[in-house]
Amino acid sequence: MTERLVTGFHPFVIPFVAGMFFVLGYCLYGIIRILVELPRADRQKFLLSLITPKTVWKNIKDIFLNCLIHVKLWKRNKVLGFMHSSIAFGWFMLIVLGHIEVMLFLPERTRFFYYPIFFNFFVAEGENTIQGAVLFFLMDLFLLVILCGITLAVIKRFRSLLFGMRRTTKPSFLDRIGLYALWLIFPLRLLSESFTAHISGGSFLTIPMNWLFRQFLGNDLNFLPTWWAYSIVLSIFLFVLPFTRYMHIPAEMMLIPLRNAGLKIKHPRKGFARVQFYSCPGCGVCIDACPMSVRKENQKDCTVYLNRQLRRNNESRIEEISDKCLMCGKCTTVCQVQVDGPHIRQAQRALRSYSINPHYTQVSVDEHLSKIGKGKVLYFAGCMTHLTPGIKKAVGEVLDRAGVSWTMMDPDGGLCCGRPMLLAGRKEPARAMMRINKEIILASGCDILLLSCPICYRVFKENYNLPGITVMHHSVFFNELIKANLLKVDKDAEMKLAYHDPCELGRGCGIYDQPRELVSAAGTLVEAAQNREASICCGGSLGSLSLSYEKRRDITLNSIKNLKAGNPDAIVTACPLCQTTFKNYSDIPVLDISQVILKENKKG
Amino acid sequence: MEFGFKLSPSSAIELDKIDLSLYEKVCEIEPTAKTCISCGSCSATCTASEYSGMSVRKMLLDLQRGRHAEVERILSHCMLCGKCTMVCPRGINTRRVILTVSRYYDNVEAGL
Amino acid sequence: MKNNILIIGGGIAGMETARQLKQLGLNPIIVEKNFALGGHVSQWNRLFPDMIPAKEVLDPYEDSLEGVEILLGTEIASINRLQKGWSVTLSTGKNYSCKAVVFATGFRLFEAEKKEEYGYGIYDHVITNSDLENWFNTKLDERVPEKPQAVGFIHCVGSRDIKAGNTQCSKVCCITAIKQAIEIKEAFPNAEVYCFYMDLRLFGKKYEDFYIKAQRDYGIHFIRGRVSEVSETIDGRVQVKAEDTLAGKPVKVRLDLLVLMSGIVCNRENEGLAKAMEMPLDEDGFFRSRNNVNAITEADREGIFYAGTCTGPKTVPETIAEARSAALCVYNYVKNNK
Repeated sequence: MTERLVTGFHPFVIPFVAGMFFVLGYCLYGIIRILVELPRADRQKFLLSLITPKTVWKNIKDIFLNCLIHVKLWKRNKVLGFMHSSIAFGWFMLIVLGHIEVMLFLPERTRFFYYPIFFNFFVAEGENTIQGAVLFFLMDLFLLVILCGITLAVIKRFRSLLFGMRRTTKPSFLDRIGLYALWLIFPLRLLSESFTAHISGGSFLTIPMNWLFRQFLGNDLNFLPTWWAYSIVLSIFLFVLPFTRYMHIPAEMMLIPLRNAGLKIKHPRKGFARVQFYSCPGCGVCIDACPMSVRKENQKDCTVYLNRQLRRNNESRIEEISDKCLMCGKCTTVCQVQVDGPHIRQAQRALRSYSINPHYTQVSVDEHLSKIGKGKVLYFAGCMTHLTPGIKKAVGEVLDRAGVSWTMMDPDGGLCCGRPMLLAGRKEPARAMMRINKEIILASGCDILLLSCPICYRVFKENYNLPGITVMHHSVFFNELIKANLLKVDKDAEMKLAYHDPCELGRGCGIYDQPRELVSAAGTLVEAAQNREASICCGGSLGSLSLSYEKRRDITLNSIKNLKAGNPDAIVTACPLCQTTFKNYSDIPVLDISQVILKENKKG
Repeated sequence: MEFGFKLSPSSAIELDKIDLSLYEKVCEIEPTAKTCISCGSCSATCTASEYSGMSVRKMLLDLQRGRHAEVERILSHCMLCGKCTMVCPRGINTRRVILTVSRYYDNVEAGL
Repeated sequence: MKNNILIIGGGIAGMETARQLKQLGLNPIIVEKNFALGGHVSQWNRLFPDMIPAKEVLDPYEDSLEGVEILLGTEIASINRLQKGWSVTLSTGKNYSCKAVVFATGFRLFEAEKKEEYGYGIYDHVITNSDLENWFNTKLDERVPEKPQAVGFIHCVGSRDIKAGNTQCSKVCCITAIKQAIEIKEAFPNAEVYCFYMDLRLFGKKYEDFYIKAQRDYGIHFIRGRVSEVSETIDGRVQVKAEDTLAGKPVKVRLDLLVLMSGIVCNRENEGLAKAMEMPLDEDGFFRSRNNVNAITEADREGIFYAGTCTGPKTVPETIAEARSAALCVYNYVKNNK
């Protein structure tokens, strides 16, 4: 390889170089800003994680697998997976291979960082072509891979249903500019490299195209304009990048290490939250996932639009979207980047100041304790279970039959667990309730705190610190009773039961298997069309502050339809709120898991 | 002059002189608030009512009768558990009503 | 077609319409899905406000319907429009051509177990108004204790309740509750009886007198507050929680028997029939009349008429009056469309 230009410079690289400096500068500024915005303790935790070998390795692995290969997307949708990884990984490989070319053939030019990008422009083929053949082949191969990805992307833009996406986002004006620039980059690269292939050399793609072009374009006049165009399009992409959804590319590389460092969203807009909403790729998979999307008017209330409004500081929409959400967490599970929609919203809710702040100083712990008996298991029914006496009674009877020593924490009604208040973003009153509950629980002398409501279960598990006490949901506890042979259940195989994963128990606490084992012990489990992590919220969630009862109807009906996919005789759930919500609309019985167990135990 | 009786200030609420701005704000944000029939389900089921006399029904009524001090007293014990929303036969989003009143209480009181 | 008039439903609305049509010289045919006539009234013991036995209202029909074709245990398979009138195919396979069709399909009592917080089907001593009538008839129901000290009635169960899917007032429950409370008091003079109500709607003739009697002569306690929760005490009694909205205080009371006043809701079976005949239902699920002032018994479609509670909750006297009105409408329609 020899250089065609002695200076190693041509003015057409200027747009690219300017764009690159701009983006690098912007990202550097972004990183510093995020670091400054992080609370001191979080910053230290993060920096420490960057020098801890375990997290460093995890960061590298996660960035490679998620940002380049898009492993999670592959699992969900192979075509979309191929599309994304071909573009991301292909582009990455072009850059890497470009650098290898420069290092191999023109090591003195490694300091010009535009050289690997425009290598073919600057070089002329020499005698040692064989050396470059493999590299040239790989360059053409990855370019082809990217072009396939781009073709799919273009098709997807116009026919998203082919890719299994019913609804996608509407891109903003700048998003469109970025998108079109991205579409153009690689065809232009192919053209530029093809026009110069008879000088710089090429491979299976560029050489035949070069031959083809020269049949009717006998001169090299097209040569320079295409390289200019290539550089300008790259530059456009780089300049608009920070203001488009493509910002997710650098942001995600920041998000992964921050998440791996174990940080939580503290400030609604700054630090970790900012990285979260800039990491949103704007792909819109959360639109289909969002249970509210069955209502057309709520299709713009899912996380992708929240992130967009957060980037634009559109306060009124931010408040509206944050308040409406059911906090079911499905957007996070389907999201490739795992943008934490519910916690971002919770942080926005916490922004508000209230002029009436509740306190619970009038509650007497002693009075509560006087109503609690003695028992190893302390059963806290919670507010919702008090409205479903069927569950309260069934849990008590199952415990009695299994010979468990138990007592009730709130026989006459107790305090709320604090989770609804927490979800509303009001931490102080929530903590005040939690302090009182904690005092009662610790003084009761129990070993196990049993909950029949997943809302309570999650907060007791996540936010209470109860040393020496095991917090258990009744679906898990009953399962253990059966395994320990303390509870016998006769299977009625004729009875087909569909299990609904309550959001707080499934996605919230990761409990999917134990309830299924229980259901299978009592009857034949038939899965819903979308189940486990993909389960659809019942619509009754306390997470939403503003969604009216009437508007939740379609959500509930859709969830019931999903559950009835396998023609079950009854719907079984493990949450009093889900049960009550379904009961208002279901034409088949809706039972709690405790009621199913009790029913099948009676026969024995 | 002595009439044999004293004039005491009337305890009647003069409906046409009440400051309804907070109530109107609440209804603007959560129109279902207007449909309350004072059935008392919310207060009966309320987790906090036993300790404190918390009652969405009373609060909504006090709001419409201009008894704002009562409103503050009632709402300062709410746990936001959502039972009242669940039992309301009119489907009022009581939690949103509570949050809205708690949020704008001072603003309206100060005439903002 | 011999002036055939098909009447769907053999409750009092259907029977009264048939009786009148017969006297007007038309040929009514009653189709009833159950194996007996009489509908809901036949399950009742005594009727307000005069406390006449339901039997006395039903028995005369036996004579007056003599000669009327009555098809029991039969349902409608399909109804098709003819050039003049309707062609009806029954579940038995029989086919009739009729000049007009009268819907007297009635109502359904709200399934009280749907309001789980009231504990019907969960607690031992919670029954419905219909269960109580059955007990008055038979004196057999394990859930009714031998000597109750305290009995409660919850009004508006499943009516005026968006969560139960029924926003309409069921109209008859207030007076039924008062009637049943009095009857309970007659059966158990020492029992305290509590009625938990949202609003008392005693609009009919003699209803208010009945209310006064319940207060003055029977000492029944009326508490203005909707019950929100029912629980069971250790000794197996039921405890209800409500707010006494007039006192502004939460109240609790332990009872030996709790009666839920299940409301009148639309008959879901109408949905299929209405769809097949392209007849609109109202938002509350009841049939939609041409208007609700002077055409309650007429449908928008020609030759279709309504009688009784298929268009909304009604009392027994109202149903009978309406059935007579429907019969007259049918008569005029047939006369004008010869």
